[in-house]
Amino acid sequence: MGSSVAQKRLFHEYKNLSTNPPEGITAGPVSEDDMFYWEALIEGPGGTPFEGGVFAAELKFPQGLSSEPPDYEICWRRVYPNGTVCISILHPPGDDPNHYEHASERWSPIQSVEKILISVMSMLAEPNDESPANVEAAKMWRERRSEYEQKVRDEVRKGLGL
Amino acid sequence: MEQSFELADSTDWIDTPLNLLGPLESSLRCQICKDFFTSPVITSCCHTFCSLCIRRCLSSDHKCPVCRQADQELKLRRNWTVEELLENFKKARPSVLGLARKEAARIKNGGDDSSEPSPKKRKVNHLDEPEPPAALSPRRVRTRSRGAKVQADPTHGQEEIEESDVAIEPEVIEDSQDEDYSDDGLVPCPICNRRVRQDTINTHLDTCLAGDSPKPPPVKSSTAFGYRHPQGSELKKLERLPAINYSLFKEHALRKKMRDLGISDAGPKPLLQRRHTEWMNLWNANCDSKNPKSKSQLARELDTWERTQGGNAVPSAPERNPVTSKDFNAAQWSANHNDEFKLLIANARKKSDAQVRSTIPRVSESSNAAAEIPSPTVPSPHFGTPAADQNDSTPSG
Repeated sequence: MGSSVAQKRLFHEYKNLSTNPPEGITAGPVSEDDMFYWEALIEGPGGTPFEGGVFAAELKFPQGLSSEPPDYEICWRRVYPNGTVCISILHPPGDDPNHYEHASERWSPIQSVEKILISVMSMLAEPNDESPANVEAAKMWRERRSEYEQKVRDEVRKGLGL
Repeated sequence: MEQSFELADSTDWIDTPLNLLGPLESSLRCQICKDFFTSPVITSCCHTFCSLCIRRCLSSDHKCPVCRQADQELKLRRNWTVEELLENFKKARPSVLGLARKEAARIKNGGDDSSEPSPKKRKVNHLDEPEPPAALSPRRVRTRSRGAKVQADPTHGQEEIEESDVAIEPEVIEDSQDEDYSDDGLVPCPICNRRVRQDTINTHLDTCLAGDSPKPPPVKSSTAFGYRHPQGSELKKLERLPAINYSLFKEHALRKKMRDLGISDAGPKPLLQRRHTEWMNLWNANCDSKNPKSKSQLARELDTWERTQGGNAVPSAPERNPVTSKDFNAAQWSANHNDEFKLLIANARKKSDAQVRSTIPRVSESSNAAAEIPSPTVPSPHFGTPAADQNDSTPSG
């Protein structure tokens, strides 16, 4: 039962995302045989250097009833070299790797794929330089903002094959 | 798009004139499993979840998933109102959704779009109305749904209404029977709703009809929800399992306890703990259920858990399609699968040859086709199947 409940829940989320998708977000399981492995595409938020870009990510969900957060791996290696993003919603409720997050910001079983993707979008728009996934990028963001933005714009263009 | 998902969901209402029922349906769904509540229980912070969902959460995290207040399984209380609300909503859902979809289709097809606003508005009122009374007794629902049918009459064909008649009536009757004939041998008096012994119902009815009418109303209001819980002997049979402090149990004591409960005692202690917790959650959630399952059914559910998350679960995720992974080594892949690719290419060529041959008689007038036939070694993209094209290019690139 455990697994089928989790599967059904993911199916609900999938249906919700495909019938009523939030702007700039597309997500779904790679194959319908395995509901626990998803791919997601996020549009770069408008008004930021990420505008126009499309950022793919992989999501792997635990078999249990979502008591743990899914694995989120962003496929954009330039700013996020090992694919991990640092967003509190993706941190399990128990431990606090950075010692500053509120428990209320972290993962809970009532969170949804949609909320994760929206969080990622807002992270692109307003990165949190206190817990950077890429320290170099965060330093540049803090000290040489225009250079950072130019670099992001170049990378976005490159990513699109322009 | 809707046809490809057979799963009922709150998004079903979006494209209908009754899209305001979407949020209503969302609020009747558990936030954890996104399904309709199963044996809903309320936490001490007043949030409602399926019994099993919240038990699983609390046993791993000890906090309410919505507000993160600390809570204990012991403090969960059943939420009968929600359960009843849901039961009635689920009964009404198919016919209401059917009507709403028909209406949506009619609006889409019909040319009377311009004159639509006022009739549409009226319809929303009609069909919204039967929803709130769902919280009342099943008997009420029956009269209301009849009312709804009468209201729906002028706008819909006769046979459709006939259909919904059939769909709604028997279920509701069955339900009220369920409640009226519980195992205590008492039946409710139709006048005052008091429960009396079956063999004395006639004499009771006589006195009830003859006189003491001032008394019944208060009695009736106390059972206004018309929802009799299986509080009697049935519940006492199912005793809840207490939570165990695992650190106080030696491994062999825990094994013995699990044997006594009739569940497997195999595996290392951490697995024993997880299995015991899961069993406790399944068992206690079953105690909250209106129609409890048998122990063997619970054992089967534990078995499923064992296969997916317990001792028999595959440690890491099953094999993914490696082609989609980021560190995909194309050269290695094509070397490893060279034989298969060759086989596929050979098959594809055979197929495309056959296709060419079969198309010649029909396309005989085309010189292009004729020109392309003598090159079976290089399957042209026009004749190769998409699979053949793909496999053809993979090993080379």
